Amino acid sequence: MASVTHDVVDEAAAGRTRAAQPYMNPYLAGIGLGLVLLAAFVLVGRGLGASGAFNSTIAWLVSLVAPGYAKSNEFLSAYLEEGTHPLKAWLVFEVVGAFVGALLSGLLAGRVGLGVEKGPRVSVGTRLALAFVGGGLMAVGAAFARGCTSGQALTGGALLNLGSWAFMMCVFGGAYAVAAFFRRQWR
Amino acid sequence: MLSLSKLSLNQKLGVVALALGALAVFANVAPGHTVKVNAKELLTGVARAEDHVTPQELAAWIIEGRADYRLVDIRDEEAFAEYHIPTAENVPLAAVTDGALGRTDKLVLYGDGGIHAAQAWMVLRGRGYTRVYTLLEGLDAWKDEVLFPVMPESPTAEQQARFERAVQVAKFFGGQPRAAAAPGAEPMALPVTAAAPAVAPPTLPAGAGSGPKKKREGC
Amino acid sequence: MSAPFYKLGAFGDEASLIVAFLIGIGFGFFLERGGFGSAKKLVSQFYLNDLSVFKMMFTAIVTAMLGVTYLSWAGFLDLNLVYLVPTYWVAQVAGGLVLGVGFVVGGYCPGTSIVATATGKLDGLVFVLGFAAGTLGFALAFPLVKGLYTAGDVGTKTLPQVLGIPYGILVFGVVLMAVGGFMGATWVERKMAARAAAE
Repeated sequence: MASVTHDVVDEAAAGRTRAAQPYMNPYLAGIGLGLVLLAAFVLVGRGLGASGAFNSTIAWLVSLVAPGYAKSNEFLSAYLEEGTHPLKAWLVFEVVGAFVGALLSGLLAGRVGLGVEKGPRVSVGTRLALAFVGGGLMAVGAAFARGCTSGQALTGGALLNLGSWAFMMCVFGGAYAVAAFFRRQWR
Repeated sequence: MLSLSKLSLNQKLGVVALALGALAVFANVAPGHTVKVNAKELLTGVARAEDHVTPQELAAWIIEGRADYRLVDIRDEEAFAEYHIPTAENVPLAAVTDGALGRTDKLVLYGDGGIHAAQAWMVLRGRGYTRVYTLLEGLDAWKDEVLFPVMPESPTAEQQARFERAVQVAKFFGGQPRAAAAPGAEPMALPVTAAAPAVAPPTLPAGAGSGPKKKREGC
Repeated sequence: MSAPFYKLGAFGDEASLIVAFLIGIGFGFFLERGGFGSAKKLVSQFYLNDLSVFKMMFTAIVTAMLGVTYLSWAGFLDLNLVYLVPTYWVAQVAGGLVLGVGFVVGGYCPGTSIVATATGKLDGLVFVLGFAAGTLGFALAFPLVKGLYTAGDVGTKTLPQVLGIPYGILVFGVVLMAVGGFMGATWVERKMAARAAAE
């Protein structure tokens, strides 16, 4: 029952010190991830997330440049609490930890190296432009949904949250609906 | 006969998952509607002064125009119509758990004194509301400290400065300063609730508006 | 009930930030282990030849869900104190669809873009910048979108509440669905691989 896909890691092998190892069995990695999520529930009474850290960071940056505006903007002011630095937020620390954890796993597996993930039929420039646009779209989607795949789908999914399950199905739906149009970027 | 040892790792995981899932059918997790008051958690919160905001803090928030919380007046409709703190909404005490108040909303509750708001606070905390606070000593303290600040007798420079700021705040809300109340004196007339205060907002000293530590819990 | 520890006063805000950092390490570690720092692997989900995203995500959900169920049942974890994002179903449906499109276009989601950036992927970094820009844009346009943002406000609702099905039975249902899904996913992967080999 082997569906271990030996990922052919792409262009720019520079910087890698040894051959990249195959990825972990997705079920085992999933159990690991699930246990991390459970630890968050048990220790702190909340789940994982990522988009909230971006919100805090943007709120902080705006408050540096235009503090009055930031406070009066209903969306941003929620991340600007009196007396606490906006970056002293749970999700910000969690995201920084995620960076470190990812780097650690990558180093252990020989999967750290400069590169651009893309298919053979599209240029680096196009790929980067699409990455930027995709990121922007995601940000809008995550803002409306009050979370992204980590916060809403994973966390809310495990807690049987109504909105999270609806959200999750729409993510898959939306992605499958447009996948054909962007095939060129990936295959 | 299917021997367990012949199953691959993934299949074994699947079997374990199904078994745990089947057993979970009998689980009782008591979610939702029970109000379970966790004494330890509640009292810890009170001890950390996480349960209230002071009238001065609330006044500062209103002047600043903060939009990240809801001010809730838990008295009945008549009392609310007669006077309420600007920006407050009316949710009478008995209706507090009916659904008007979201579990993740940041709420500041007030009544005439401190008791009813504290009772509502306890019930809401038991329901899992995490960002609910009371106005310390309620409308009584609002009147005494914000609307009608007392002129200090022979004040120090610092007390005088603080009093002058308090007068500014009072005027903003339609109140006025008064001399120290003699026992049996007439209570001050409450301002008619206006939609928006007519006086320009006073400048606040730095740090005037820090409330209790709020935990932002989104994703 | 001893958990959630932080909510019951076991440690303070500062310590909770350290906990956040440590949990984040676990989060990023396993995402990378599963290959989620690679956009190509992530989007393979949507071209049906590598359904690891589905497998890993739902295994994580099932693991945590079973954990939560058993720990509450045992009286150790107070579910009431675990934060649940309120449901704004219209906003969340719209947001989900947009997010799905963004996933295929951008190749990552916010969490995995951090993983990609950590392992040196330039497109991951660019995605992060795009995400930041999108967030800023949303904030600036907030007064215009506020209506949609708060649409479908039904409060905090769980599936057991809404469907009227007991929690434990729903948990079993989710497990059945997941295991069935995994078997289906493996079948689809084999089919796609066979088709690719035949070309």
